[in-house]
Amino acid sequence: MIHLAVAIAFLPYNTLVVAAGVAAVGCAAGVIGTFGVLRKRALVGDAAAHATLVGVACALLLTGQRDLAVLLVGGLLSAMVAIVLLVLIRKFTRTRDDAATAIVLSVSFGLGITLISGMVSRGIPGSGGLERFLLGHTASLTATDALLLGTVSVVGVLCIVVGLKEATMVAFDPDFAAAAGWPAATLDLVLIALIAVMVVVGLPAAGAVLVTALVVIPPAVARQWTERLVPMLVIAGAVGLLSALGGVVLSSLAVQVPTGPVVVLVATAFLILSILVAPCRGILWRTRSVSGLSSVSLTKTEVGAATPRVMERKL
Amino acid sequence: MAGNNSAREVHVAHPMLEWHDLTVAYGRRPVLWNVDFEIQDPCLFGIIGPNGAGKSTLLKASLDLVRRAGGTVRFWGQQLAEVRSKIAYVPQRETVDWDFPVSVMDVVRMGATSRLGWFQRGGKRERELARASLDHVGLADFANRQIGKLSGGQQQRVFLARALAREAEIYLLDEPMAGVDAGSQEQIFNILAELRDQGKLVIAVHHDIRTAAEWFDAVALVDMRLVAAGPTAEVLTPENLTMTYSGRLSILDEIGEAVERGGRTP
Repeated sequence: MIHLAVAIAFLPYNTLVVAAGVAAVGCAAGVIGTFGVLRKRALVGDAAAHATLVGVACALLLTGQRDLAVLLVGGLLSAMVAIVLLVLIRKFTRTRDDAATAIVLSVSFGLGITLISGMVSRGIPGSGGLERFLLGHTASLTATDALLLGTVSVVGVLCIVVGLKEATMVAFDPDFAAAAGWPAATLDLVLIALIAVMVVVGLPAAGAVLVTALVVIPPAVARQWTERLVPMLVIAGAVGLLSALGGVVLSSLAVQVPTGPVVVLVATAFLILSILVAPCRGILWRTRSVSGLSSVSLTKTEVGAATPRVMERKL
Repeated sequence: MAGNNSAREVHVAHPMLEWHDLTVAYGRRPVLWNVDFEIQDPCLFGIIGPNGAGKSTLLKASLDLVRRAGGTVRFWGQQLAEVRSKIAYVPQRETVDWDFPVSVMDVVRMGATSRLGWFQRGGKRERELARASLDHVGLADFANRQIGKLSGGQQQRVFLARALAREAEIYLLDEPMAGVDAGSQEQIFNILAELRDQGKLVIAVHHDIRTAAEWFDAVALVDMRLVAAGPTAEVLTPENLTMTYSGRLSILDEIGEAVERGGRTP
């Protein structure tokens, strides 16, 4: 941690701003991802992420602008189209949900890669930079870009903070919420749209291939440490923030390393640590309490024993 | 509560709940066909029928959770949208993820805060209401426990407490006895009977004919169509049960027992 802090302190101004913006993205992705994971929408987010490349490429092709905002709006549009396609396939064909998701994911990704490769080989201006959306490359971000990403992230977190009651009710039991008069289906759409937005602003940091990790891993880490929703949101936000920050700093120290893989590796380090040592759910903690080899108090042993087997299998 | 009283006075001529020609289809397969009956007064009402008979769908269609292909549902002669605050729904237990990171108290509080407007979190009143509801179902000691660390019967009572926190007039419960041991079942039935005694209408989807004959004031036998509806003793006749469960040999014994037992019940 101290090394990381020292490394941050000696970074140039632009890198600092970028690091702050990307850290905000990581935090928001963790918070919104928590609801995505609880509502079992992780794969939808992954399909949306892979579909962003098409929109990013089309945005450059149609407008000729390399402005990040323009490219990301393009990415968001194609992510939305992918989600609509996913819903239509599920509704009008007999394709199973997981297969439908896999189809949309691979087809849209294939299309995106084809578009980008074609543009690069024809030497279309700016197309060379599109590769950074594949695996993430924060070194090429400007302070203005970072401000945009940070602002969107803050708005995303605010949406969750303001609508916490509604989001929780619908995520836990949509039928009960709907029977009580809440527009559960619409709120579900809002949640999916928020996930799509987070996936898009996460593109520069993690890239289309890996950005899902930013939405999925921090909540998984957080769930290891708590049984309550608000702490889970806070921990997921913190883990997302630190992973993104760590990824930016570490990848800027190592020349020619894309940011995405480093972000994912940092997040994974948190996950492995949590799976091992988190109280109640952690593997080490459970073996200790079950075998009774150490001096764990009786109450703790009881809690450990009461943990259903289902949870163990989920690990 | 003033609103409830005035609603009762104004709509005294209307039954509490009525279904007219209700038809629901999943794709092309009809699940409910021309279901038509009404419940006039507060009572403990059972919806009985074999698996896949459309019992749960009947509740969901009444609450606009599934689309109706035809027919109408009226509460005190009014549309659902006008009376939602007086209705509480208890979904089937397995429809939610019990590993969800919420405590027992959190879930019950959702019942209280579901009555508030957008973005209102609720305060002392909602907390007290949730606490009282939890007390009512005998789970006050489990308030801070994560919901996955409860038995089936306890989970079902958490759902019931969440519905109680809505302070409703009509309760619609989907299989409240599924996966519940005999002791908890008695406890839940007692709470439901208590609600009935307070003038509430309690409707429960139920699959066990034996306990149905014992507890429900009135029942509807459903097998896609409505076979019969009315006072329990009049409806649970051998003829009606055979009609409802025709061709389902595995439970003929159960029917025989139930009829015997139903005959003894005054």
